[in-house]
Amino acid sequence: MRKTLLAAALVATSFGAQASAPGGSGCGWGNMLFEGSNGMPMHLLATLVNGTSGNRTFGITSGTNGCDTSGALSYNGENMLAQAGVMEEVAQDMAMGDGEALTALSVSMGIPAEERAHFKKTMHENFNTIFPSEDVTAEEVMGNIQTVMNKDKQLASLS
Amino acid sequence: MKSINLALILVLASAPLWARATNEELAEHPRWKALLHINEGTTWRYQGRSYIDDPEFFLHESGATDAHAELDASIEQLRPAESEARCDFPARYRFLSQQLDWPDDGALSHCSDYQEWREAMPEERVALIFPASYLNSPSSMFGHTLLRIDRGNDEDGVWLSRAINFGATVQGQENSILYIYRGLFGGYPGYFSNVPYMNKIRDYAHLENRDMWEYQLNLTQGERKWLLAHLWELEDIEFDYLFLDENCSFRLLELIHLARPDSTLMDDFRFAEVPANTVRSLDRAGFIESVDYRPSKANELDALVDRLSASEQDLALALARDASVAEEEAFQALAPRSRNLVARAAYAHLRLQNREGERSQEVAQRGLALLRVVNRTPTVPDIDPQRPVSPEKGHGTKMLAAGGGMLGDRGFGELQARFSYHDWLDNPEGYLNGAAIEAFNARIRRTEGDDLTLEQLDVVNIKSLAPRNRFRKPVSWFVNGGLDRRFIGSKRHLTRHVQGGPGLAWEMGPVIPYAYAMARAENNSAHDVLVSTAAGARAGVLWYAESFQLGLEAEGLYYHNDDRRYRPSATLNVPVGRNHALRARIERDGGPDRAETEFHLSWRYYFD
Repeated sequence: MRKTLLAAALVATSFGAQASAPGGSGCGWGNMLFEGSNGMPMHLLATLVNGTSGNRTFGITSGTNGCDTSGALSYNGENMLAQAGVMEEVAQDMAMGDGEALTALSVSMGIPAEERAHFKKTMHENFNTIFPSEDVTAEEVMGNIQTVMNKDKQLASLS
Repeated sequence: MKSINLALILVLASAPLWARATNEELAEHPRWKALLHINEGTTWRYQGRSYIDDPEFFLHESGATDAHAELDASIEQLRPAESEARCDFPARYRFLSQQLDWPDDGALSHCSDYQEWREAMPEERVALIFPASYLNSPSSMFGHTLLRIDRGNDEDGVWLSRAINFGATVQGQENSILYIYRGLFGGYPGYFSNVPYMNKIRDYAHLENRDMWEYQLNLTQGERKWLLAHLWELEDIEFDYLFLDENCSFRLLELIHLARPDSTLMDDFRFAEVPANTVRSLDRAGFIESVDYRPSKANELDALVDRLSASEQDLALALARDASVAEEEAFQALAPRSRNLVARAAYAHLRLQNREGERSQEVAQRGLALLRVVNRTPTVPDIDPQRPVSPEKGHGTKMLAAGGGMLGDRGFGELQARFSYHDWLDNPEGYLNGAAIEAFNARIRRTEGDDLTLEQLDVVNIKSLAPRNRFRKPVSWFVNGGLDRRFIGSKRHLTRHVQGGPGLAWEMGPVIPYAYAMARAENNSAHDVLVSTAAGARAGVLWYAESFQLGLEAEGLYYHNDDRRYRPSATLNVPVGRNHALRARIERDGGPDRAETEFHLSWRYYFD
């Protein structure tokens, strides 16, 4: 019972967060930023007691950045990208061709370990297609990744 | 025959007594106590009872203070097959069913929420994560710790791992000093949270510029199962959060102790839980298997900049301001390798500049344009920042020193005790260069022909030197409050003071020059007014050589009543091993009427 209540409360807090998310309700590049801390004292305190302001999270349901409230324990590619700040890391890794965020994305998309090098190389080569503009959303990025994979004969079967 | 009968009667009569004795013993079992979070004298508050007040956590109304009653109630409620209580307390159930040999009646198979959660939670490896302090943030200076739980496939990395964090929960509507007070002295509820580890990487390494140390623990599969089952029991359970002892680090120690109750982790009294000491305790108790280093974004930028020539640095800065610089001759003429490094430095610089607050469309656009430039150049691999000495390898956080010297023509002997933590001439291994945080630092002196006197008491003394370069322009600062002595007229007076100010610092290899503007408010017995105010400046240079640290400094203060203080000094610190150091200091201290020169030599011993 108490877990259900908690889940309900968490969903409520993440909707609250969405309403006040800086930059509006979209999840584009421009929005992948630090959820506004309420000034210096709050930040100082948060660092001091290692806490969070407001919502507590425990897994089954956890708020993310207002873009995705499913934020479950395991990921598919899209809800991983919707985590605050992650898309930017993935973009940087794709631009360079490797990195932990890109690895994590491939894991969350179920790309087997032996295909990852090829996956990363393909993402690197198609960076401009996958990130066409700074307003791109997690959903669009995911769609673009699928499109790129479908055109690659080695990856087509995985997408 | 008679004696056999007697024996039989005794056995029969004592059977219920035996059962009770077993329960009593069970209530004293180290794991049962760990499951209830009972304080066995490790910290000063709530000794002999549970740290938790939250009634949700107990099945008996006086369970928080009576481990035996809680045991009885738990047995009663967890015993029936398919009981609801089992789903809230899977670790307790596991303990009782093992200890009391309960028959296999489906155990926890009816707890679908719990099963779903366990299914989704990784449990292959557990690591303790220590985001070290970052320059210029006093609140981070002691660091923080959290746990990370991994799936354990090395090729998958750790971004998809889970982070278990204990922190205070603050409802953030007001900004007030009260929040700081309550954070320090209690009053905030603390909760465990379970979030994606990638969020923690973002918070610490990316947003706050903290290096992260990742200590892989050697918990066995059985031990990890205890930990996870108990974590579920802590969901939504309220603790108190106390900054000094019952903080993030202490709660993690409790969790690890629960997994391995015969460890020595909770044996010593822990007055203040400093995260670096938490790591040391785990190291001493044999938990740490390996150590990984995750540099902050700022250190990654520095590593890139280190590989650029001066003209390439110019280009990177220009590129960060305007991505179209990539089309210009100067950039195009670079070797492909240099183009890659310049573009990456430009991007890293732009991100670091805009890491907090709302980002404009224009910055987002520039960021993407820079990534396109990076994407067009061949990636230079392995631009990794140099790995510093890990924090648990640093000197002890408490310090005692004994020494003596001359003030003018009179000799003195002196004892010093410092509760915490590090000053910027102490052995820098495991600490940040240019960061100092001292709390309760006292010096007691006996001068020839004089009584024992208090020479200095720093309640708090924080100095932060954040070097500026072409890519980063932080402002340094210091703040200090406590008691010290200075010449007023021709006599040395004890003053109660608060002082501080902003400053600038630079880094030239091992040398850090700096300058501060400063203001001071002081109370002393020589001035007529209650509070004397002064303004002044302090400037100096630190030299971190291979085998010693040298600091030169000069300070001048001008008081509202025309009083003045000058204080030039030179201090040399020579570490002798990890926990000893020899320190020599010469200082001229005085004002318009009188000044004296002091020589001072001391031996410093660091511990704990």
